[in-house]
Amino acid sequence: MVTFSDWLRARSDEQFVALLSRRGDLASPSPSTLLSLAARATSRASLLRAAAALDAAHLTVLESVAVLDALGEEATADRVVAAIAAPSAPGTQDPPPPDDAATVRALLEDLTTLALLWHPTPGTYRPAPGIEETLDAYPAGLGPALRPQDTRPDLALLDSPDAPAGARAILTALQWGPPVGRIPASTDSPTYTPTRWLLDHGFLRQVDAHHVTLPREVALDLRSGRTHQGLPPAPPLPIPTLTPETVDAESARAAQEIVRRVAQVISLWQTTPAPALRSGGLGVRELRRLAGQLDADEAATAVVVELALMAALIADDSGDPATFAPTDTADEWLAADLPTRWATLVAAWFASARAPWLVGTRDDRGALRSALEPELHRVWVPRLRSQVLRVAAQAPLAAVDAESVVAVLAWRTPRSVPPQAAVAALLHEAALLGVTGADALAAGGLLLAAAPPLTVLDDDAHRALADTLERTLPEPVDEVLLQGDLTGIVPGRPTPELEALLADAAEVESRGGAITVRFTAASVIRALDAGRTAEDLLADLARHSRSAIPQPLDYLVHDAARRHGQVRLGVAASYIRVDDPVLLAGLVEDPALSALGLFRLAPTVLASTAPASQLLTALRERGLAPAMEDAEGKVVHSDRLTPRVRVPGRRSRRASQHSRAVDGSPEHGTGGALRTDRLQALVARLREQHQLTQERRAQGAGSAGSLGGTGTPSEMGTPDPLVALGLLREAAADGHEVWLEVAGPTGALTRRRVRPLRIDAGRLRAVDVAREAELTVAVHRIAGVEPVADA
Amino acid sequence: MADGPLIVQSDKTLLLEVDHPQADAARRAIAPFAELERAPEHVHTYRLTPLGLWNARAAGHDAEQVVNVLLAFSRYSVPHALLVDVAETMSRYGRLQLSQHPVHGLVLTSTDRAVLAEVLKSKRTAGLVGERIDEDTVVVHPSERGHLKQVLLKLGWPAEDLAGYVDGEKHPIALSPTDPAHGDAPWELRPYQEQAVDGFWHGGSGVVVLPCGAGKTIVGAGAMARSATTTLILVTNTVSARQWRDELLRRTTLTEDEIGEYSGARKEVRPVTIATYQVLTTKRKGVYTHLELLDARDWGLVIYDEVHLLPAPIFRMTADLQARRRLGLTATLVREDGREDEVFSLIGPKRYDAPWKDIEAQGYIAPADCVEVRLTLPERDRMLYATAEPEDKYRLAACAPGKNQIVEQLVARHQGDPTLIIGQYIDQLEELADHLGAQIITGATSVRERQRLFDAFRTGEITTLVVSKVANFSIDLPEASVAIQVSGSFGSRQEEAQRLGRIMRPKADGRTAHFYAVVARDTVDQDFAAHRQRFLAEQGYAYRIVDADDLPVT
Repeated sequence: MVTFSDWLRARSDEQFVALLSRRGDLASPSPSTLLSLAARATSRASLLRAAAALDAAHLTVLESVAVLDALGEEATADRVVAAIAAPSAPGTQDPPPPDDAATVRALLEDLTTLALLWHPTPGTYRPAPGIEETLDAYPAGLGPALRPQDTRPDLALLDSPDAPAGARAILTALQWGPPVGRIPASTDSPTYTPTRWLLDHGFLRQVDAHHVTLPREVALDLRSGRTHQGLPPAPPLPIPTLTPETVDAESARAAQEIVRRVAQVISLWQTTPAPALRSGGLGVRELRRLAGQLDADEAATAVVVELALMAALIADDSGDPATFAPTDTADEWLAADLPTRWATLVAAWFASARAPWLVGTRDDRGALRSALEPELHRVWVPRLRSQVLRVAAQAPLAAVDAESVVAVLAWRTPRSVPPQAAVAALLHEAALLGVTGADALAAGGLLLAAAPPLTVLDDDAHRALADTLERTLPEPVDEVLLQGDLTGIVPGRPTPELEALLADAAEVESRGGAITVRFTAASVIRALDAGRTAEDLLADLARHSRSAIPQPLDYLVHDAARRHGQVRLGVAASYIRVDDPVLLAGLVEDPALSALGLFRLAPTVLASTAPASQLLTALRERGLAPAMEDAEGKVVHSDRLTPRVRVPGRRSRRASQHSRAVDGSPEHGTGGALRTDRLQALVARLREQHQLTQERRAQGAGSAGSLGGTGTPSEMGTPDPLVALGLLREAAADGHEVWLEVAGPTGALTRRRVRPLRIDAGRLRAVDVAREAELTVAVHRIAGVEPVADA
Repeated sequence: MADGPLIVQSDKTLLLEVDHPQADAARRAIAPFAELERAPEHVHTYRLTPLGLWNARAAGHDAEQVVNVLLAFSRYSVPHALLVDVAETMSRYGRLQLSQHPVHGLVLTSTDRAVLAEVLKSKRTAGLVGERIDEDTVVVHPSERGHLKQVLLKLGWPAEDLAGYVDGEKHPIALSPTDPAHGDAPWELRPYQEQAVDGFWHGGSGVVVLPCGAGKTIVGAGAMARSATTTLILVTNTVSARQWRDELLRRTTLTEDEIGEYSGARKEVRPVTIATYQVLTTKRKGVYTHLELLDARDWGLVIYDEVHLLPAPIFRMTADLQARRRLGLTATLVREDGREDEVFSLIGPKRYDAPWKDIEAQGYIAPADCVEVRLTLPERDRMLYATAEPEDKYRLAACAPGKNQIVEQLVARHQGDPTLIIGQYIDQLEELADHLGAQIITGATSVRERQRLFDAFRTGEITTLVVSKVANFSIDLPEASVAIQVSGSFGSRQEEAQRLGRIMRPKADGRTAHFYAVVARDTVDQDFAAHRQRFLAEQGYAYRIVDADDLPVT
């Protein structure tokens, strides 16, 4: 008989590497000793984490072993196979089909690799210490075991004549769990008598005034010694119905659209940055307005702005008042080609923990969550995103919906089933991004699914991503068909140059495989505003057009150019107005007055960039005797113009909480796949250290022999609380005794020999061997634990 | 797929590249289910609408065919969502059926109980249907057949109408083989007219869209000959009624005794009766007094001329005529009130539609040169305009005095050609008539005077005629070859098209017709003009724009 720690120590190097790579939390931060590794492997947190990663089949096997072990049965592989796998012919005791048996055996081995099961003796399995606490309240749908004073009832009684009718039916209903039933309230109920009879004969146990449970042993007898009805089958994946061309085309379409929309947000916000709420988000009205401008619904718009934020293309400028404006990365992004721009967005999305679908919902305090809010992230998002993509990757060319993904994930990790709404939202984002096309994973998505989760994509991955889009995009077209009704059609995807030209000079009427645009007076004026001249514009259009420019378009451009700039405006801070032009002679040209920034608007009007008061002083000094006038031309007294001091920003500036929001994602890489060589080095180091401890222990064996005494803390004890808990758990599982050092209320240490029973909710229950009394100790008061040397 | 003529957009428009070698094949393939929206020179735009798809279903096309056509002719991959939507939309048609039940008469049956439950639950169907016979069948009041169909269409579950048409009272009508107006020379239907008649007859009821001057009356005559039943023809006004009668006498075997006129002046009910919308919609003491005409005979065919003008009461009356074959005729099925859909649902789907330029290319309508003349207002008028109240601005701009001078120049340029000057405002027209020394026809002109002036115009006695909007429709001025529009009713697209239609009869010598729109620059007049021109521009009539100053002075 060995302990879990002994068994673990005896694992081969390869097995250690396998364990550490599968349970990353054991290797990072690196454990200092093998003992602490064993302790960590049995800590509640690590076990929960490991169990959360198990699929339904693994959990079934684990439960089965745990149940058998708890009943004191020897869980050999054959026993577990018999307990789980369905017999070949239903209702018989035939051995299960070899496939199922092999699967169960493989699962047993796999769980052993994970150190969730171990071999107390060769050929038998036992759950790692502490596993039982991580299982359901009713593992495998089984109730609590019989108490020592109970007798195990004989099932044959059920068939005896005095068994009331319906007794077996009640047991059958509870047999596969949940094992709790209600006692009929009325004695008239047809189930009342059988229930009472079952209680009297020990088939059921009353837990409170209204409920009964089916004891574990009885249930197992009813189940003919089996713990499960078979291995839960994996849910079916969606059936492929699409062609690769459709998926590619749809994904390329979405990719172009999302890049265009993000670019549109940048271009809108670079002229007028969007005001930020005091909480740091984008207000509902602002979002709605933007949705109107993008011609999208609010949910999609929220995704667009969030994507821009994830890719650090926009940010809260922390100004006063704070606004969202494009960042300097945005310029770089805008200059890149379409596939690169897309890859940037997708990569940012892949790594981000932001949760745009929460926009518009309310938080715990009832406040509306807004887009771009710093708090709008959830740590589990990147992991879930990877999981969703991986499920989709397994069903190539099939339209994947949230329901089927959740079904698969519910089988794969029954301990942590994601909310369907989040999965649906992630799939929706994937569709908007073109990571999926027609709801099936596209090439770019496959790439993401293959990437290790929770990593930031490197340049190669980035390029590969861009290439997937590059391959699916249709050839760009450098031609626009101009028509007499002032419309133009680009029969395909426009080249960037053509796209920029049309974006400047026309309104887009319809998008898709082709783009149709309409030239209007307003759109042409916009192009002129952007710095083009009528001749430039016509020449550019002519260069892209197969036919000559239609006369109406030509006329429109010239007509717009004629009207453009007829009204001029400029900036001035003050002006000088006279009736006699002579008075102004020499003012503009005088170098002494150059600080005033004077310029002539008309023979009798000068404007100045200096404030009126300064102008007034300067003109007085020149002896011109100026008088100040108001908007209606009335003379006002100059002393009224003393500038008032402005109290700077009443409202205290908001803490710059946004730097957090910009990359609101958590740290990456902690749980990522650790490189095997690193792990091997770690294992080697642990072994070496263990060797050292062993040697030290051998040397100090003489003095350590007096372990029975009280007082001095032993070197063999452990101050590491995690290791201490591990030792306690192990001892509890094996029924061994340990030396326990407990800090008393005054801080003085006492040392007792105890047999731990259970560690739960921060408390240790143990039996003090010397006093034969049970005691409960809060774990934070445990200063050390030391195994009792085998006598 | 790589190089088809069609580009399918996500917004359900189809772009057809006209110069593509496969363009014709693609056009024929998509015509049954896609609506032609614009037909300018290079790329024609079609649109997929639920109505169009349902009409295609009614005509026996299924979703698979539609999808295959799109895939076969598309240059790029067709948006997946659109294909799904097409299939979904088309599958909605025919879940409900209207049919004749041997015992209960007209009934609505369903192949999908949920759908029947849904539509019966709707408030809109209340009162249109009677008792429920069984789970799948409900009685329909025969008088509500049209109304119910319209409601079901709005609810998105169009009913397949299998109840058929009444045969109507037989009355032999045939097309006459010779044309008495051309010395009894033999004639026959033009190919597109033949196709239009076929399309209509095959579909049962519906609308035929043909450009002005392309012979819609003859399509009507052809339909009557095919039906060979008593026929009710509804037209816009009395002049138009007379023209219909003349044309029918000329093109068919009908005699004067067989054709009756039902108008303000005369109330004759004959095997073929021509009535005006106006008389039908006349109300006395809140009651339509002439409604009995609709039931006066067992009409086998009802023809609606110029359906784009169909007034609202006629819509309601038409709802009651669902058991009779209905033919709608128009050149421009665009309504500024957006009620095109009601025309389609009550009279029937579009059965034939030809781009104007196609007919022009075949030589059946005259080629037309459209010019917008822009007049720069003098300083004083600009000031007046800038400070005017918004509601006066259009009138002020449209009636700019400078237009007189331009009209004079244009008339002089086409000296000797029959020229129409069309406008909206009577004051302006009277001033123009004075200025040019020309005759004028307005709503106030008596029918006799109108006929006299039209006759004089036809014979070439007078070459210039100023007309108000009374001349917008259905006046037959065979040799008018120049039209000058000085003002219009705001941005009405169909008015512009109808006015162009006045000069589109093919000319004996193949001359090009000229259409001028005189517009005041930088005013709402210009904005409205741009909107008015949209229909024609979309039909491929590219307006040239010239400055008034560039017109040659004579």
